[in-house]
Amino acid sequence: MNAPAAVRHVDLRRAEPAVPDAGLVLDIFWWGDLPVGSRTSIRAELPLGEGQLQAIAAELMAEQLAGREVALGAPLVAGNEGRPHAVLGVGRAAAFSHVAERLQSLSSRAPCDAGEVSLIICTRDRPEALGRCLVSLAHQQSLPGELIVVDNSAGGSARQVCSEFGQVTYVHEPEPGLSRARNAGVRRARGSILVFTDDDVEAHPGWLSEIVRTFGEHDVDCITGLVLPAALETEAQCEFQFTLGAFGGSFVPVLFDHRFFAETKPHGAQVWRIGAGANMAFRRRAFERAGLFDERLGAGASGCSEDSELWYRLLALGGSCLHEPRAVVLHHHRASWSALLDQMRVYMRGHVSALVAQADAFGDRACLKRIGWQLPRYFVRTGLKSLARGRGRRLRILLAEVRGWLEGLTYLVRPRWRRRRGEWPTL
Amino acid sequence: MSYRLIDLELSGPITPVPLESGQHGFGIVARWRGRPIGFHLEEWPAGALVGADELASIADRHFAEAVLAARVEDALPPSAAGDGRSGPTLSIAICTRNRAQRLARLLRSLDELRPEPSFAGVEIIVVDNGSTDDTKGAVARFAGARHVLERKAGLNFARNRALSEAKGDLIAFLDDDVVVDAGWLAGLVSAWRSRPDAGGFSGLVLPYRLQTEAQLLFERRGGFRRGFKRIEFRAGNYHNPLFPVGAGSVGAGCNMAFDRRLLLDLGGFDEALDTGAPLPGGGDLDIFYRVLRSGRAMVYEPRYAVHHEHRETLAELQRQYWSWGLGLMAFVAKSRRSDPELARRHRAMVAWWLGDQARAFLRSVRRSDLRGARFTLAETWGGVMGFAGEYERSRARVAAIAAEAS
Repeated sequence: MNAPAAVRHVDLRRAEPAVPDAGLVLDIFWWGDLPVGSRTSIRAELPLGEGQLQAIAAELMAEQLAGREVALGAPLVAGNEGRPHAVLGVGRAAAFSHVAERLQSLSSRAPCDAGEVSLIICTRDRPEALGRCLVSLAHQQSLPGELIVVDNSAGGSARQVCSEFGQVTYVHEPEPGLSRARNAGVRRARGSILVFTDDDVEAHPGWLSEIVRTFGEHDVDCITGLVLPAALETEAQCEFQFTLGAFGGSFVPVLFDHRFFAETKPHGAQVWRIGAGANMAFRRRAFERAGLFDERLGAGASGCSEDSELWYRLLALGGSCLHEPRAVVLHHHRASWSALLDQMRVYMRGHVSALVAQADAFGDRACLKRIGWQLPRYFVRTGLKSLARGRGRRLRILLAEVRGWLEGLTYLVRPRWRRRRGEWPTL
Repeated sequence: MSYRLIDLELSGPITPVPLESGQHGFGIVARWRGRPIGFHLEEWPAGALVGADELASIADRHFAEAVLAARVEDALPPSAAGDGRSGPTLSIAICTRNRAQRLARLLRSLDELRPEPSFAGVEIIVVDNGSTDDTKGAVARFAGARHVLERKAGLNFARNRALSEAKGDLIAFLDDDVVVDAGWLAGLVSAWRSRPDAGGFSGLVLPYRLQTEAQLLFERRGGFRRGFKRIEFRAGNYHNPLFPVGAGSVGAGCNMAFDRRLLLDLGGFDEALDTGAPLPGGGDLDIFYRVLRSGRAMVYEPRYAVHHEHRETLAELQRQYWSWGLGLMAFVAKSRRSDPELARRHRAMVAWWLGDQARAFLRSVRRSDLRGARFTLAETWGGVMGFAGEYERSRARVAAIAAEAS
């Protein structure tokens, strides 16, 4: 076997592609341009075969219809852990007409004009990754009205790459911090739809078109899309994908609104279920309503979760977010083991800092309960389970997470940091 | 204490169902256009009417997704895997001993099936494992069934006899305590069509009735159910690193079918397993395991369904759990030696199984479910006996039986 794992893209309307030469295969199932589900198989279970693909198609496409057809109760509203509440009844399922035609119409749609889109990519000392990202953007079905690259490096390392691509607005923001960089992008942007991605992704050709279409169909403040793995070539990437679940994200659209906020708030409003900063888009009005990104948070500052903290504010102020898996980007996970450990530590530190910020700004004690009770319980449970199963790698990741949690606790005792509560930059 | 079984066709109007005075609830077999899509048990006041609205709301909660999935499946172009191949011939083998009435019930249910044009031919072989009742007469009353006598007592002797008598490309085994569902034959065809190169097929096992406390308890504890989705099994599984050891998730021996030539190549069933009284189990696990290890797939198809008459008394049920433990561990002990390549998985299976039994026992004790705890102990004790040399003891017994017969 050459690689520990491989990603295979399978269009359920076509013949099964060849089985990659890898011990584990992550199949991403598509229905034309529509991503509908995934499945992990070991080599001995492949090829899946026609009958099995047929059964997979029936199950996944039924989920798509239930999640996308208004006549069947769509869009579904997120509940605990971000899982959608079931609303389908036998009567509606039995009466739903033209099933074959509806299935056909899901597979592809005409592109939407993305002239209103300002696409903002923040980068820091990763010119090669940024170049790969910009190449993928050239293949968008609908090009954005403007493309802004915010260079968060001290020395302006992205300037050279950006000059090789035409139509790129280059902004240099040397003060470190992802939130700071994103806010610089927002202030520069002229479009009514502001789309964010990171330098370590490649976009699916229909990505921007689907974001524009979704804003046209739903009156929501924010849209998050699906973040799929671009490749699984190293053990660290596999661990992030298979054990940690990568960026999660449902394959059916899910609405996160005041109902979700009310339902999950007693357990620490699970806003991180909404999506990932690598694939999110806002209407301009969202920033007018809730302010910009909190510059105390995010990579380069406290770690991460500047995205979910903004979603928290939006929901707390009556806004709503829609997860639309049709908008797809492919993410290059951290390749080395040390980078993954560092990432998990920083994620946890950022998560804790965002919880402190939310508790301070909104008096939400459940956020503190998550820091002091839920997270330690998760550490103990995961630790015991990994010990029992002899999973050393999971334990190492857990230790990194615990370190991040301890670092995060320090934000509780930083009076100056906390004094800036509820002071968000504005447009 | 009994439950009423309700066959609920969801493509038509739902009508109220009255319960009798002794019925404290009901079990629903939900269908969409005849195809079973779900099962659900519900407690209910004895003797009360189950209104149409109440049934509809239960159906909404438990079966709506399955209805939609069935409709999507019908709308998708069918799998073309089996197209262009001429339909196989089928031998249906029923192994029986002293259950003339139940056998007649099964033969009647087979008689009522619509002929399935996809099969080039169907024969029914009843292997009589030394009955002293009117089994022969019961078979004679059905024109399509052939009676074969196998004197060597033991289910796998009977199954191997059926294998040598059969002519079909596929051979389907049925126990005498089931009746087939109206979609049984069509379900087997559709499973074969979806994977014509599969080594074997298994199907859904629903309760025939929930008349006694033991039958209800068995179903509450999960019964034979393996779900309502078609599943393919191969010789490994990402989600279950022990697979195919403990291949019980594949199906149950009372309703299984195989490529007959493959079974002959594999040397048939292991006659030291499923031998009746001394070692009544493990034979199905063993054959599923060997088919999968030969590199061929096993397909579980819910439309290929039977209705099984569960054990009627608590004592019989307890014995069944004991025999499950015995059969499983006798099989593990055997195949650990015959298949050294997977010896580690066999060892891990024993450890996992003991832990699982312990967890089930503690769960029962916590809920003060003493009967459940007893069942678990019986199964564990069976397992310990099975692992402690039962397979060798059985082989000696079987050799004696074979020698005596020749």
